[in-house]
Amino acid sequence: MKLDGKRAIITGGGQGIGRGIVEAFINEGASVITCGRSAKPASLPSQCEYVTLDVADPKAVQQFSATQQAPHVLVNNAGVQVEKTVTDSSDEDWDSVIGINARGVFNLCRAFIPVMNNGGSIINIGSISGNVADPCMALYNASKAFVHGLTRSIAVDHGPQIRCNAICPGWIETGMLEAGFATANNPDAALNDALSRHPTRRFGKPSDVASMAVWLASDDATFATGQLFTIDGGMTASSPVNPGLF
Amino acid sequence: MKLDGKIALVTGGRGGIGRAVVKRLMNEGATVYAADLTEQGSLKKHDDDGSHFLKLDVTSEQDAINAINNVNEQHAELHILVNAAGIEIEKTIEQTTLDEWNQSFAVNVTGTFLTCKYSLPLLRAAAKSGNTSSIINFGSYDGFIADPGLAAYCATKGAVHALTRAMACDHGPEGIRVNAICPGYIDTPMLQSFFEGEGSGADGGNIESLQQAVRDVHPMRTYGTPEDIANLVNWLASDEARYASGQLWVLDGGLSAQVQQMRF
Repeated sequence: MKLDGKRAIITGGGQGIGRGIVEAFINEGASVITCGRSAKPASLPSQCEYVTLDVADPKAVQQFSATQQAPHVLVNNAGVQVEKTVTDSSDEDWDSVIGINARGVFNLCRAFIPVMNNGGSIINIGSISGNVADPCMALYNASKAFVHGLTRSIAVDHGPQIRCNAICPGWIETGMLEAGFATANNPDAALNDALSRHPTRRFGKPSDVASMAVWLASDDATFATGQLFTIDGGMTASSPVNPGLF
Repeated sequence: MKLDGKIALVTGGRGGIGRAVVKRLMNEGATVYAADLTEQGSLKKHDDDGSHFLKLDVTSEQDAINAINNVNEQHAELHILVNAAGIEIEKTIEQTTLDEWNQSFAVNVTGTFLTCKYSLPLLRAAAKSGNTSSIINFGSYDGFIADPGLAAYCATKGAVHALTRAMACDHGPEGIRVNAICPGYIDTPMLQSFFEGEGSGADGGNIESLQQAVRDVHPMRTYGTPEDIANLVNWLASDEARYASGQLWVLDGGLSAQVQQMRF
């Protein structure tokens, strides 16, 4: 197995992409600790240790890190999105999105980089939205660009001891994606349009992102650092011009 | 093993990176055709690695047709095409002759075009099984940011990047994934030639101190090896990468994550 003997801390592993990464890491032999703001989800694999933690709270993260042995792999996955433009966003939206998506990644990295050993791998979950903007997702887009910039900084400042990369998922089938289509004027047409923009003619699954995370965490990737790896079924390789026009 | 039962064709398969790719794909269980100008390729010697050698000048349409016919007759399908054949002219535009410009494009761009064009029916046949088939082109981090004195090379690699995205759009619906790997500094005969070339350490300087200075610019403080590239080829070729398409995968020890550094 590719991650035998590795200890991994994965934030936000209760559901969605994080849950996919938790399951893939366990399948590859890693011991996994995950966290979330709520109580432990009943469906979480029994081997997975769970801690209730708000990554946005620097004191809580420092206290959490003091109880942990040095991890080999840190996956900063916890994230929230608020679907608003800049002018619609409230101070509470700012605190929530920037607090979790940006400050949360910073908090975990600051707490764990000093104790991680040579060969450690940090994997941040960025987004294609950090490179190109999704409409009405201003704070989310900006928070993911923050993650991309922090990823490069950590690679430059903390190599060669630590590698740091980000995965930029596209449209992945989590509850969030389906909920988005449900609010469209014509949900079926919206779904078909979105699928036609994917050369793979399907959306991603959490396991698609997880297999990239396994590779970045593994010893196959010891020369990979400072990079953003997009996994989106080819969507951002295509022009955003509506394919229905041709 | 990840690639059991898969058929692979690697152009430049006896070169610096291509040879490591051939070896890795074979170790993962694939049947591998190594195509190159000569059995020895760009290295000083070649020990038998168990791959099937195909004589191929990638700039020749007839050679491409013949090589792929050979695979067709044996297997009638192809799961993995790796376009690793490439050349580098170490000159600015002003120094580059038209012949050198045309030769750069003939090998790096037209070569990729020809093998892709004639492999597509076999890649489509392989994708009929329900799994995807995979084309892996060789771009370069030089297709994003320029190294000095490599103008034609940078331009050809930018062309490979755009061709990769275009083919991902066109052939994704057929189950064919198309990606490019964009290496940084990898220890190959091409890199050694770059260090020994005009304007480099050979100009009265010390090649070893030049190489160390280049290593020190990397966050990982070293170059990559052909095996590092082969690790990523292996993943992109495998079914684990089934959702990965249309992308340019930079593998450079963090080199291009940095802004240019101030010295002294």
